Amino acid sequence: MRAETALREPSMDQLIAILNEIRPGQNFSGAENFFDQGLLDSLDLTALVAELESRYGVFIDVDEIVADNFRNLAAIKTILARKGVNL
Amino acid sequence: MSENKNEPTARRVLLAGDTTLDPLGRLLERGQETLRLHTSAAPYGQVYQILLDPSHPAWAFQPDYLVVWTAPQLTMPSLGKLLRFEFDSATEVYDAALREAEQFADGVLQAATRIGLVLVPSWILPTQERWVQTITWRQGIGITNLLAKANLVLAEKFAVQQNIVLLDTGYWQASLGRPAHDPRMYAVAKILYSQNLFQKAAEEIKAVLRGSLGLGKKVVVCDLDNTLWGGVVGDDGANNIKLGAPDPVGECFHAFQTVLKGLRSRGLLLAICSKNDEKFALSVIEGHPAMALRQSDFVAWRINWKDKAENLLSLAEELNLGLDSFVFLDDSPQERDQIRHLLPKVYTPDLPASPSELAPFLSSLNCFETSSLGKEDFERTEMYQAERSRKQTLDVSGNVENWLRSLQIEVHVAPLRRENLPRAAQLLNKTNQFNLSLRRLDEKSLWDWAEEPSNAAYTFRVLDRFGDFGLTGLASLSFVGTEARIVDFVMSCRVMGKKIEEALLGYTLARARAAGADRIMAPPVDGPRNEPAKAFFAAKFSNSDGATIDVAKVGIPPQISLREER
Repeated sequence: MRAETALREPSMDQLIAILNEIRPGQNFSGAENFFDQGLLDSLDLTALVAELESRYGVFIDVDEIVADNFRNLAAIKTILARKGVNL
Repeated sequence: MSENKNEPTARRVLLAGDTTLDPLGRLLERGQETLRLHTSAAPYGQVYQILLDPSHPAWAFQPDYLVVWTAPQLTMPSLGKLLRFEFDSATEVYDAALREAEQFADGVLQAATRIGLVLVPSWILPTQERWVQTITWRQGIGITNLLAKANLVLAEKFAVQQNIVLLDTGYWQASLGRPAHDPRMYAVAKILYSQNLFQKAAEEIKAVLRGSLGLGKKVVVCDLDNTLWGGVVGDDGANNIKLGAPDPVGECFHAFQTVLKGLRSRGLLLAICSKNDEKFALSVIEGHPAMALRQSDFVAWRINWKDKAENLLSLAEELNLGLDSFVFLDDSPQERDQIRHLLPKVYTPDLPASPSELAPFLSSLNCFETSSLGKEDFERTEMYQAERSRKQTLDVSGNVENWLRSLQIEVHVAPLRRENLPRAAQLLNKTNQFNLSLRRLDEKSLWDWAEEPSNAAYTFRVLDRFGDFGLTGLASLSFVGTEARIVDFVMSCRVMGKKIEEALLGYTLARARAAGADRIMAPPVDGPRNEPAKAFFAAKFSNSDGATIDVAKVGIPPQISLREER
């Protein structure tokens, strides 16, 4: 039961955990732009999109899979909010 | 899964494909605790160049393994045409596609001569490529028919080469329950497959590689109550446990036992660890009409009221196997938790909550891969049971020398040959305890090494009056001038404790001296678990150093008869 509740109530910590699974040891919380600062690359972006979709049950369309939409925690929060998921 | 300290070096995997495979590479590099992999994804679309040209820059990575994952519609352009209905004659493009499949297979065969192991995921089509259902399986025209046939072409062509493994991508796709292809990612980055499929592929490829390195599990230890049957037999009684038809829960436990029996039949060892009355529990196992497993399917059991960790340790000792080759199945979270804490090397997976999930769960565990399947695997349980009879004989007769004589041990020696190569390589890679140098080689590398004129390798098959142990020993020599070095000296733990190692060493020395060696070295390698081999050799060295064998200390024991097969 507890695991299910956690799934329905996404948090910033969970998002950071997802990012750290893709790139262990990086400090995502303070970064302005993951891609410009070299924390993520375009292949990581595809892995991130897949993980967000399966974790939160959202669909991110082909024209939304651009680095700018996922450049930092706030940007990811915005695109998830547009899909009805509030962090 | 537990760590394995016998696997210190990282292996290199080269990925070649006609679409972007980098996501697979990244997933293969995750989870370094079971198997350390470094990967390099070659630029996509250069499959033939890489397969056919040994000087292609991709080979500079010096890979141990090659994964060739191609899309059928790209590697067989004619299949692509059939798929899109771009043809005058369906039969012509159908035949042309099969020729392209053969051409691809020939390329893989060529590359396989340059590398230890090649993994080829079989061809699948994206589900969004729906074809005309009425004719898709029709002979000579249909796309489904062609795809099946093209995969068979690969299987048939690859059969001549031991070091090519065709992987079942169709199974991965079916087991996902989610799309295996992602048209968006193909548009964004030429990534044809979904992250889910890549995850599945990475798990399966790792399982195959672990199997080829002898890191697969060897023993499954099961609890009884609510694991092999429903209910608690001591409380409910033998007639009231849930096992077999018509009870649906009973059906599920029977199905679970059937899968376990399948594992046993292909070479895994089954054992029991249960808190029960031994006599009563064994009578249920033998007597209950719906048991798929009987006493003879288990090589050992600890049915008592002792601590389970203690019981697992004593099982490991009896079977002479390391805890890292054990899987422990128990419905109780408390028991599992205890084993995970006290014996972290034992793989203790959570069991599914529903009995209906038990059989599928066991089938989906990917820790039972093996490099090959042969006679020794199919007869393993019987061999362990014969060993129990031998030990009982020892208890009765008491005197070790008399007991050894009574066993009528025979050792049959043969040079390394094509037909005994798979088992010899399996033995070399799986043996941790009686292993002088812990050298790990795949079949091809072992064969190539033994083919060199200054090297020689011998295999030993052991039999006694209770049965045939199969190929259980391997020794190899390397000559430099009048000096010989024992490179590998490996013996299965199944035949330890019968002075068979004396006979193997005696024979190896005789061969070295017959070839003109006047000094024979056997430098041992320090491994975490090869103390038995180190101790045996320590007693054979001349006093001056720790590597030269004193031939006066070696002799073939009179109780063992040694025969040479030419």
